[in-house]
Amino acid sequence: MKLNRPLSPHLSIHKKVLTAVFSIFHRFTGIGLSIGGILLSIWIVLIALGPDYYSKFEALSSLIVFKVFLFLWTLAIFYHLFNGIRYLFWSYGKMMELSTVYKSAYAVIVLSILSTLIVWISI
Amino acid sequence: MKNYATKWILQRLTAVILIPLTFWFVYQCVLLSSYGYDEIRAFFFSKLNSLLYFVLTIAMLYHAKLGCETIVEDYVTSHNLKKFTKLSISVLIYIFIFLTTISLIFIASS
Repeated sequence: MKLNRPLSPHLSIHKKVLTAVFSIFHRFTGIGLSIGGILLSIWIVLIALGPDYYSKFEALSSLIVFKVFLFLWTLAIFYHLFNGIRYLFWSYGKMMELSTVYKSAYAVIVLSILSTLIVWISI
Repeated sequence: MKNYATKWILQRLTAVILIPLTFWFVYQCVLLSSYGYDEIRAFFFSKLNSLLYFVLTIAMLYHAKLGCETIVEDYVTSHNLKKFTKLSISVLIYIFIFLTTISLIFIASS
């Protein structure tokens, strides 16, 4: 009985409102960034192991697929960061008026894309 | 999950720590992208850079652990599978926290 009890949130039965889409995307990027965190950890291990091991990473990093992956990683970082700041305000009950919620959502999209482009133009 | 309040606070505390460190690290990555092994190694000879990278990765991995556990809490319905998944996440995160720590100590001391 306990096992079959339905759990919230029921993603499939709700109309996809903006706040829900942002929340789902926050979790989605969060899972991706968790794997990214582990990759950062592996990166520093390879540096510690020495140039022979690090060259394996360098061979991988020269691939186009890796660059595409890095670009998406950058976008995910900025989306999760700016949307996360929004959630930090919500934690204190600030910026929760409906119009502000929508405005800040659009600000998150604009800031994420802008920051990602600035990073990739600078490289 | 016990101590929901503590986890709630830690999730936000690590988030606040990660905000400036993420900007710092992305900026460093832009500079490091053209560097070879020796230059990257030299970057970590700086005690400040090593310390900031340490705080960044540890805060990130712990933030990731708390976040993934929350997702598992919400979507995994089977009690045993939930327990197993959360344990796996914890073990994985602590292994990488350990590996990051010894790697940074090794780099700084060599």
